[in-house]
Amino acid sequence: MSAIAVAKKDFADAIRSWKLMALTVVFVLFTLGGAFLASRMGDEAESTLDLVFALQTPAGFLVPVIGAVVGYKAIAGERESGSLKFLLGLPHTRRDVVFGKVLGRSAVVAVSILIGFSVGIVGLFAFVGSVSIVDYLQFTLMTILFGVVYVSIGVGISAMTRSTTRAGIGVFGLIVVFWFLWSTAVQVLHYFLEGEFFAEEFPGWYVGLLSIPPDTAYGSAIGAVFSDSGLAMADVYEHDGGMLSTLAEPWFGFVLLALWALVPLGLGLWLFGRSDL
Amino acid sequence: MGLNITVTAIDITGVTKRYGSETALEDLDLTVERGEIYGFLGPNGAGKSTTINVILDFVRPTAGEVRVFGHDVAEETLEVRERTGILPEGTATYDRLTGRKHVEFAIESKGADDDPDELLERVGIADAADKKAGGYSKGMTQRLMFATALAGEPDLLILDEPSTGLDPNGARQMREIIREENRRGATVFFSSHIMEQVEAVCDRVGILRDGHLVAEDTVESLREAVPDQTQLRVQLDRIPDDTTTALEAIESVDGVSEVSADGTTLVVACDNESKTSVLQTIEEHGVTVEDFKTDESSLEDLFVAYTEGDTVEVSP
Repeated sequence: MSAIAVAKKDFADAIRSWKLMALTVVFVLFTLGGAFLASRMGDEAESTLDLVFALQTPAGFLVPVIGAVVGYKAIAGERESGSLKFLLGLPHTRRDVVFGKVLGRSAVVAVSILIGFSVGIVGLFAFVGSVSIVDYLQFTLMTILFGVVYVSIGVGISAMTRSTTRAGIGVFGLIVVFWFLWSTAVQVLHYFLEGEFFAEEFPGWYVGLLSIPPDTAYGSAIGAVFSDSGLAMADVYEHDGGMLSTLAEPWFGFVLLALWALVPLGLGLWLFGRSDL
Repeated sequence: MGLNITVTAIDITGVTKRYGSETALEDLDLTVERGEIYGFLGPNGAGKSTTINVILDFVRPTAGEVRVFGHDVAEETLEVRERTGILPEGTATYDRLTGRKHVEFAIESKGADDDPDELLERVGIADAADKKAGGYSKGMTQRLMFATALAGEPDLLILDEPSTGLDPNGARQMREIIREENRRGATVFFSSHIMEQVEAVCDRVGILRDGHLVAEDTVESLREAVPDQTQLRVQLDRIPDDTTTALEAIESVDGVSEVSADGTTLVVACDNESKTSVLQTIEEHGVTVEDFKTDESSLEDLFVAYTEGDTVEVSP
């Protein structure tokens, strides 16, 4: 399969990026910091919740940035420099190139996450004492999945445009939207429709909309994996079970993550497939 | 395979490419036969790269169709690329990967079994195989890209301005490899804005201007079409006493078509055989020839005539 050849070469190229190395170092520091804070939580130490607290916060914050940095130049950068002509001059279709990029750069992000979490587990042993290895591995896998989603978003947007500047604005703009603009917009919408910011019981659409960004979907999916951690919006807020509240169910996190991985990528492929280099 | 032998290497039919209101190519028809070296000439901006980009499916034509070995380039991209080695214009390397890694990747992509070092040796950068391509000079990058194009013994080589960034010696080496590849059986299509490079290796030449093919012929026929004329530039030690008589005498020499004087410099257009008589006539008028230069007219002049004149006759 031609995409594999592209992925291997792309991995070899992207893993040598100093930006990735710098981000991995930052990620390691965040993970260690999280582990340290988890140890300060006192009596409840050694629970799964500690683990999630220690790792989800740094991961939820930094993995999108790592995924985006690794992904946004994937296609647009090669189009700008001209190396895409080398790549496509060889027997690879445009689809092979896009899939190869997603595979190769996902592997890069996976390595970065594995390094961060390997140091993290040492930190957890040191600060907290003991950690459930199974939980830890599950958490690591979920985070890699989350990273792959952001790589797909990054590569997808990168395939839509000829300019890395526009790709960068698109990808990092999206991250900013997901970090806080999205929830603010949903809250404002709630205020206009319901006349108040806070409620005893929120409407189903409110928790549903809040659950849409990949970052919340990551939390929901972790909630589904650990059954009982109160990470999905459906568990965080009291709600009336109305329209759209399904979106906030833990299992639906997987559906949303899949959509976030596939929709921008599909759109990028479609636009890239019919444009001039 | 039997059927394929009759199929042309490149067949461009009625290709038009517009960018907004700009027309880069207008109803272009062009055929490259198997086994020939076709030189695609034209000044910068004539549409050479657009043509090549259309052949490579990097750019989609507004109208028309391109077939390579009978395969539609837009529909059967892989079939085309598996048999084609490409040196595109304005391509770039992966700065963080070594030269060898690039060649290995090309070999792997083509499912070939070449020795990467042998290919690098052939283009003359074997000693830089383990250096990162980001540190390569323009000429080295061009050689590296050429090495990747040679991977897998392609049936067709498409080279866009292959001598870009190369010194004369490098350009000569590249021409030598082009000849070797052709002897092996490869069809070669390459573009250039310099007639001299095309003239040296090509069987046939097409000249593109403003998106139209304005001439297409064998190098031999083009050469025959060039008039047998020399421009003689003579440097005298002083201005002769009787300038008018001197000029008239030179003009009356057999084979001279035009004489002009600028101070102590004389410019004489004449047949190649008349050079000696012209120089003798000058010295008969009491001046000494200090130096002289001849510019034989060449295919380059023809090329210039085709691409710079106001109106151009399309040769049949």
